[in-house]
Amino acid sequence: MTASTLEPSPVQAPVGGPLTWVRSRLFPNLRSSILTVLLTPLLAYALYRAVLFFFVNGRWDVVTRNLTLFMQGTYPRDQQWRIVTQIIVLAFAFGVGAATSAASQVDAAREAGLPVVKQGFLSVLKRFWSVIAFVLLLLYFANTATPWLVMGGAIAAFALGSLARFIPRRFRSVGWTLSVLALVAAFQVVAGTVGYSWMITAVVLAAGAWSAFKFEGVEGRRAVVYRGLAAVAAAVVTYLVYMQLVFPGVGWDHWSGLHLTLWVSAFAIVLSFPLGLILALARRSSFPVLRWLATGYIELIRGVPLITLLFMGQYILGFMLPQGTDPSSITRAITAMALFTAAYVAEIVRGGLQSIPHGQTEAALALGLPTGKMMRMIILPQALRAVIPALVGQFISIFKDSSLLEIIAIDEFLGVRSLVHAQADFRVVAHAETLVFVAIGYWAFAYAMSRESQRLEVRLRAGRK
Amino acid sequence: MSSREAQVFADATKAKGDAIIEVEGVDKFFGDFQALKDINMNVGRQEVVVVIGPSGSGKSTLIRCINRLEKHDRGRIVVDGIELSDDLRNIQEVRRETGMVFQQFNLFPHLTVLENITLAPREVRRLPKKEAEEIAMRMLERVKIPEQARKYPGQLSGGQQQRVAIARALAMQPKVMLFDEPTSALDPEMIKEVLDVMVELADSGMTMIVVTHEMGFARAVADRVVFMADGQIVEVGTPEHFFTDPREERTKLFLSQIL
Repeated sequence: MTASTLEPSPVQAPVGGPLTWVRSRLFPNLRSSILTVLLTPLLAYALYRAVLFFFVNGRWDVVTRNLTLFMQGTYPRDQQWRIVTQIIVLAFAFGVGAATSAASQVDAAREAGLPVVKQGFLSVLKRFWSVIAFVLLLLYFANTATPWLVMGGAIAAFALGSLARFIPRRFRSVGWTLSVLALVAAFQVVAGTVGYSWMITAVVLAAGAWSAFKFEGVEGRRAVVYRGLAAVAAAVVTYLVYMQLVFPGVGWDHWSGLHLTLWVSAFAIVLSFPLGLILALARRSSFPVLRWLATGYIELIRGVPLITLLFMGQYILGFMLPQGTDPSSITRAITAMALFTAAYVAEIVRGGLQSIPHGQTEAALALGLPTGKMMRMIILPQALRAVIPALVGQFISIFKDSSLLEIIAIDEFLGVRSLVHAQADFRVVAHAETLVFVAIGYWAFAYAMSRESQRLEVRLRAGRK
Repeated sequence: MSSREAQVFADATKAKGDAIIEVEGVDKFFGDFQALKDINMNVGRQEVVVVIGPSGSGKSTLIRCINRLEKHDRGRIVVDGIELSDDLRNIQEVRRETGMVFQQFNLFPHLTVLENITLAPREVRRLPKKEAEEIAMRMLERVKIPEQARKYPGQLSGGQQQRVAIARALAMQPKVMLFDEPTSALDPEMIKEVLDVMVELADSGMTMIVVTHEMGFARAVADRVVFMADGQIVEVGTPEHFFTDPREERTKLFLSQIL
């Protein structure tokens, strides 16, 4: 054994049948043979129990009969068309996003003279296989035709969105704008376009106009003025259109189930990131007051359990806000989750900032770059790239922690269980089944996030050491 | 010391023609440690000054004070008529006029070679992309690696990276170039390609201050050699004077150790 490891190992020819395989893999020496003999019956028994649970004894009718409840909870049934439309619009948004991302990667590869790897439709199936498997599981449990129709619509919308790959390169940013706009629209189909929702659309369209309006030969200050005007115009037009548009929806205090879990997590993640970034920069600021405030905030939040913050959001936030503002309990929960996650994001980003050699800062300053641009164009891109795994880990964590909302009486995905088991048929039975089903659901999305983070890491490392 | 020799020494401490960099009575402290002690030095337009000395003698600190990567504690530093003070605008202006090349190259690893070079002209000088890229390609030709424009720094050798760093500094069209031990981190076989670029730059009339251990370069290119030890300027002279007939004992000792 010891002598042979030093020699170059000969390539093992794939000869011999399954018997050889068994002998070389399962019984190569005494220790492995004992392990094999001991573990095989254990594994076999576990497998036997699992098969029994999943296919024979499991009361899966608890899922079949309550599928709608798990997905959308107590959301008003007569408003279900909104959720159906939302899923289809979301599929469109993802189609446009995936196509635009693929197209811009092809551009980048071409420009750098690297081999162009075309990504087909199949790559999406591979990337999000856990979510797709979960959707298939849902279809398996479905006892009406509606989920199948929604699926068909979603696939068609995704394919339609994929046409965005034919948008000419000059207008690539339009693809991104369209994708984010569809995402916002998907939200507003359910939530309605009332209140301040015009602001989100206005920001998206203003940013879209800013990046789309690149005039040939116009650069420098004049370009900034033109693009700024385009952005402001887009925001104003959005405001005017939204003022004409009367499209009330179902506010999110009436949402529940997986639908609520996904949106609450998305909002918490999207809000916590910029806040965490600002905190990280403030903690490294040369202004002592900023530094103290940021450090104080981070250490305070990190010392408090999330569940405490959630309760405080429900019971204390009201005293601190001006009278007349009475945010719904969902808004309070999202605020607490975002504030909580921001502290962790800040520490992760700070770690990334510290990993960048000081020479990068010096080189940027020596070139005459002002501090802001140095941060934005040199330090942050490298720092964030370095911490993608930790960052996504934190996001996965807050996604799963959204299940704590059950404790403050919000019926998110896990919380729906209490509604299910309040039913006469399932008061004492099938608790294991619902838990396993919910766990599979959380896992499917968390795993997809984890895989996407690995992919992003590899992609950003392409061509670099 | 004959009076003729004294005259040579006195001339050597002054810059030829009018000075583009004036350093007067500069002190610099790191905590209790005094890194620079009463430094007086002028550099004339189109002059090449090579700074040598043992490590820890304050050579790098001196040139880092000139573009304000370090803040001097006493005295004054004037670059092309602009005195360095706490005024950020002055500092920015001086940095725009001075290019710097570092020992560790400090290229931006997440940007291509072309992006590394065009970044400052576009963001600081606000040149249109096309114009910035034209300048960048000219500079890459000057350092003889135009074919690497689309690569990332990590794909290049050390010598190539340092030449890109020189091109990046030149693209801002600076009036002065500061070199902080540009060949010290390079493998021996790559030193020459970088020095060749620097020689050519000196021949083209660029004002340069070079901190280096390359005595051959100092001998061949320097108008004046400055020898520093323990934070002080010990001796200044023309290369021939400096290498063949140094005056100070400290200089003689240093030269005997390295030559």
